[in-house]
Amino acid sequence: MAGASTPGVVSGQLALLIPVGSDTYAVALETVREVVVDPRVTQLPTAPAVVRGVFNLRGDIVPLLDTGLLLGLRPVMEEPYAVLVETPHGTAGLVATDMPLTVRLNESVGHSDIEGTTETYLVADARLAVALDIPVLLSPARISR
Amino acid sequence: MSPQESLSENDFQRLFAMEAEGRLDTLVDELLELEKGGATPEVVASLFREAHTIKGGAAVVGMPHVARVAHALEDLLEEVRRERRGVDTALIDAVLAGVDAIRTLIPLAVAGQGHEEAAFDAEQRLRIAVGGPPVVDGKAAEEAVPGQAGSPAESGADLAGRDVAAPTAAGGATPPRPATAPPDVRVPAPSPAALPPPAPPAPPSAPPSGPEPGRAPAAAREPHAGDGSVEAHGAADGAAGHAEPARATATEMLQIPVHRIDELVRLIGEASAATLRLGSALLERLERDPSGLTEYRDLVRSLNELQELALHARMIPVMSLAPRLRRAVRDLARETGKEVRFETRGEDAEIDRGVLERLADPLLHLVRNAVDHGVESPDERRRNGKPAEGTVRLHAMQLGSEVVIAVSDDGRGIDVTRVRETAGRTDRSAIEMDDEAALYLIFRSGLTTATKVTGVSGRGVGLDAVRASLNAVRGRIEVRSDPGMGTEFRIAVPITMATLRCLVINAGGQAFAIPLHSVRAVLPPQGSAMVGGRAMTMLDGRPVPISSLAAVLGTGNGSAGPAVVVAGLTRSHAFTVDELIDQRDVVVKGLGELLPRMPAVAGAGVQPDGSILLVLEAAGLIERARRMDSGDRSHEAASGGGHEEIVPQRAASILVVDDALTVRELQRSIFENAGYRVRVAVNGEEALTEISHERPDLVLTDVQMPRMDGFELTEAIRKQASLASLPVIILTSRGSDEDRRRGLECGADGYIVKSGFDQSALLSAVERLLGADR
Repeated sequence: MAGASTPGVVSGQLALLIPVGSDTYAVALETVREVVVDPRVTQLPTAPAVVRGVFNLRGDIVPLLDTGLLLGLRPVMEEPYAVLVETPHGTAGLVATDMPLTVRLNESVGHSDIEGTTETYLVADARLAVALDIPVLLSPARISR
Repeated sequence: MSPQESLSENDFQRLFAMEAEGRLDTLVDELLELEKGGATPEVVASLFREAHTIKGGAAVVGMPHVARVAHALEDLLEEVRRERRGVDTALIDAVLAGVDAIRTLIPLAVAGQGHEEAAFDAEQRLRIAVGGPPVVDGKAAEEAVPGQAGSPAESGADLAGRDVAAPTAAGGATPPRPATAPPDVRVPAPSPAALPPPAPPAPPSAPPSGPEPGRAPAAAREPHAGDGSVEAHGAADGAAGHAEPARATATEMLQIPVHRIDELVRLIGEASAATLRLGSALLERLERDPSGLTEYRDLVRSLNELQELALHARMIPVMSLAPRLRRAVRDLARETGKEVRFETRGEDAEIDRGVLERLADPLLHLVRNAVDHGVESPDERRRNGKPAEGTVRLHAMQLGSEVVIAVSDDGRGIDVTRVRETAGRTDRSAIEMDDEAALYLIFRSGLTTATKVTGVSGRGVGLDAVRASLNAVRGRIEVRSDPGMGTEFRIAVPITMATLRCLVINAGGQAFAIPLHSVRAVLPPQGSAMVGGRAMTMLDGRPVPISSLAAVLGTGNGSAGPAVVVAGLTRSHAFTVDELIDQRDVVVKGLGELLPRMPAVAGAGVQPDGSILLVLEAAGLIERARRMDSGDRSHEAASGGGHEEIVPQRAASILVVDDALTVRELQRSIFENAGYRVRVAVNGEEALTEISHERPDLVLTDVQMPRMDGFELTEAIRKQASLASLPVIILTSRGSDEDRRRGLECGADGYIVKSGFDQSALLSAVERLLGADR
């Protein structure tokens, strides 16, 4: 599980791009378990706002998290895709608002200042993708706050 | 065995590590029995046999260092067995040090390492101990041998794996015990005949979920004592003596890695889902209603039973932790010069293995705290008119979907004034707190009132860690303390993966499940009244606060539907919902470690159609409703309702008679919460005195109590003409027909078996009897 040892994805590595609104994020492909299309989400009352709810993954109950709110940005309005990532505390789903795609990352074009992210990469169509630091972003402490 | 299943040498080592862990626990338990003066030939023979078996096993799987220490251990115990050496503390210490050394050496050996020095030291110490005092009347002169290798504090820390109180203080000589092997659970073997080696004759094993939990199989009560199926070295060996009858009749046990059971549970779940899909396919494509097919119904029923059985296989007795805790009590008592007895009750309480594992450290901490802070020195106790020997009790009990574990002592209690002063230095608000609130300050990080820092406590890094560990398993902790009388910490943890019978309702457009054991009543749609600024409704002549469930959960507004009255640990509350859907069994799963603890949500279950049903938690829900209520007095909880004054009836009074503090207090809280007045007595005699002072409306009594038991009490009550109509309920862990007959013969109105009782059953039995009486 590279997510626990190397924070985020590095250049040259295969990454999954997660579109969230007008932004794009990247996670190392090896931390991704699978992508679920149109997850059937059950609301979880009294949970922190970043928790969109829980859904059933072949009998396992998996939390679905608002990728935008987790980064301190705008909340997402819908959840057409859930990218399942492995964290040190179990599997979690990150909302993607468009189809996630796989790319091999080029050289980093700069450091990202957003907490829970590492580097910025230039990907296809002149888009920028910010690499997520999964162990930091998906820690119980951060989700609770 | 297929090639992929054949075992490598390392696999055998892991298997041995698992087996040895159980044997070492047994050894320590029996050793402490010996120290208490229980030096029967059977115990000594059993100790010897454990050491002998470990030695043989270690040699077979290629762990020469372990074998060496075990050999020295065996030789020392052989001296005791042949009555050439007496039992004294030096012997006990040497054997414990040997056990610790083996615990350290096994994981090293599994990892392909040796530790020549540790093996040598332990072996030497055991050899020296052989030359102890001779036997005098089965005992030895009390004097320690020179050159004690590891102090009791060190061995205690090692045994526990890690010391919560002082992670760095007790490291030293022995490294912490790493996980040597994948976790495993022990389940009764289905059939002795299925085992390869010829097993000693045994009665047919009871199923894990036997019909009478009070009569759990011996192996459930002594999880490490009955694994006779792997007796390849011990029992067959002439040197080990004759096979012990107790061992021969123990339920056969198998050790199964947890992941295999998890896989089993998952596959059964998939099979159930596939069966339901098959059912819908039959209906849609062939237009055959599957519920009309006997074969289909049989299949569904079998799968349900299978699922329940598989879930039960993950459960182990809470008391399997007792040997470790007993050892810690013993070591710490010796270190601090105290006399402490360790008692356990609640052998039939079981819990998910994963949960119990997480409770080991918190419980160890509480037990050590009780010895270090709670129990006074023998001198101080005598001065205060107490017996010199203090008592630390571990009591476990299943209550609905939770297991309640209490750690209590009869020591000096917590000095609330000191707690308040200490906390007040950094937080002025603490000074204003009442005693109950101030008591809970002990769970704050960094707070200690100990005047000196010892190896185990007084660093103020303990109870907050205990609380944090409990949060991780969605448990909670309560404390009660009586100055001069003692302290009790009570932990309540959910039995995860449990199947719960639930009432399913709709609130705010979403379905929720409420565990039936916490449902007291369902009321038809009705108005509420405002009392003291709070919306109240009436239940059985008593006012109960009422709120809208959707509003409390934040998913909607008020509902005009029926109200569900739920009972938490200490109080009741009514919640209005949109509609009642049905009752069903829900396999409750936790929501994982990533999410914070949500006190109002107990977990969730996956429904046959793949949707997720959230299971609510009564205590958390009530707490949330009350907080919202006090935060917003104008909060209109339910629809309609005038503002009439409610005058409650005089609350009925119940006399609870039980010698166990935990049971007494548990029942007190259940009944007080339900609106009753509660008095308590510790035995039949005291109960009669209480009754003569003021006649209660009902008596609830335990059977086994000192001085006068529950049957005698019932008879004594029935003999008095003035008490002839006083309802008596006997509540007991003895579930035999004979006991039940005796209870009813001596005049009891009801007979409830503790291991089967849940809160609502108890309450409804009491309400029925009171209704008939009043």
